[in-house]
Amino acid sequence: MSEDMGLIVKTMARATIPLIGIFGAYVISHGHLTPGGGFQGGATIAGAGVLFLIAFGLSEAKKRYDHHVYSALESLGGLVFLGAAMLGLSVAFFYNTLWRKGIAFAGEPGTLLSAGYLPIMNLAVGLKVFAGLVSAMMAIAVYRRWKE
Amino acid sequence: MSFIIVFMWSFVLWLVLTAGTKGMLWSAEELAAGVVFSLIVGYATRDIIGEKAGRFLNPARWVGFIVYSIGPLFWGMVKANFDVAYRVITGKIKPGIVKVPVDLENDAQYTILSNSITLTPGTLTIDACPDEKALYVHWIYVTDEHPESSEPISGSFEKWARRLGK
Repeated sequence: MSEDMGLIVKTMARATIPLIGIFGAYVISHGHLTPGGGFQGGATIAGAGVLFLIAFGLSEAKKRYDHHVYSALESLGGLVFLGAAMLGLSVAFFYNTLWRKGIAFAGEPGTLLSAGYLPIMNLAVGLKVFAGLVSAMMAIAVYRRWKE
Repeated sequence: MSFIIVFMWSFVLWLVLTAGTKGMLWSAEELAAGVVFSLIVGYATRDIIGEKAGRFLNPARWVGFIVYSIGPLFWGMVKANFDVAYRVITGKIKPGIVKVPVDLENDAQYTILSNSITLTPGTLTIDACPDEKALYVHWIYVTDEHPESSEPISGSFEKWARRLGK
């Protein structure tokens, strides 16, 4: 039994996986402007990973999945979130010093580079959710005790 | 090479999504963010898109796709929808699965033809077998059980698919 899908599904997956990825990046990076944000965008990108696993099969997905890389990315996302929260620690935890002092991401509200630490936190949460969901999905996919 | 293709493919979608940030156009920061995210997506998916996807960067092929989708494909869908409405009302159906021999070479051609056949109601591609050079199509009203070509099922779609995916 082949574990990958047919030719049509695979060809469509080749074309749509980059599109899902860039759409997820759009949702994440515009989290402070439009509906969506870190979790929604990260789950969207993880959907591209699910599509890859289902369309191309487990053996192909295993070749491209490195446990250590995804583990490190997930930790990195959490640390960046915590780091952004601690930037204004001289005043208070979660104090948006980037925005109040106009250091970075301090553009006019409604533009991409505004809202202080929110874009950074959205990116961090998106990375964490993506890496976490893909890792969880791969862990479930390789768990195949019923085969032996 | 395939990195550049994915980069452009995702950057175009980014431009479509963020149009209107500066008047009707794009602000500089959106463009910069698009380049960064497209680079990341392009790097991550560079070996998924396929080695020969570069042929779809040819503008003549884009014109072909546009002409095909608003010309033969749209007209075929209109005709087939009315045909299915007729079959729903009268109940005259004779369903079956037929093997359709096709003369195509690569994955993209098979995908274009299969999706066109599925989009026109009354026919549904079940499987594409490049080894047998055949498609298996579920047909709502089988008029020809062993077709010699894809002509009775899809009309001129095979010719278009061969040209667009070459």
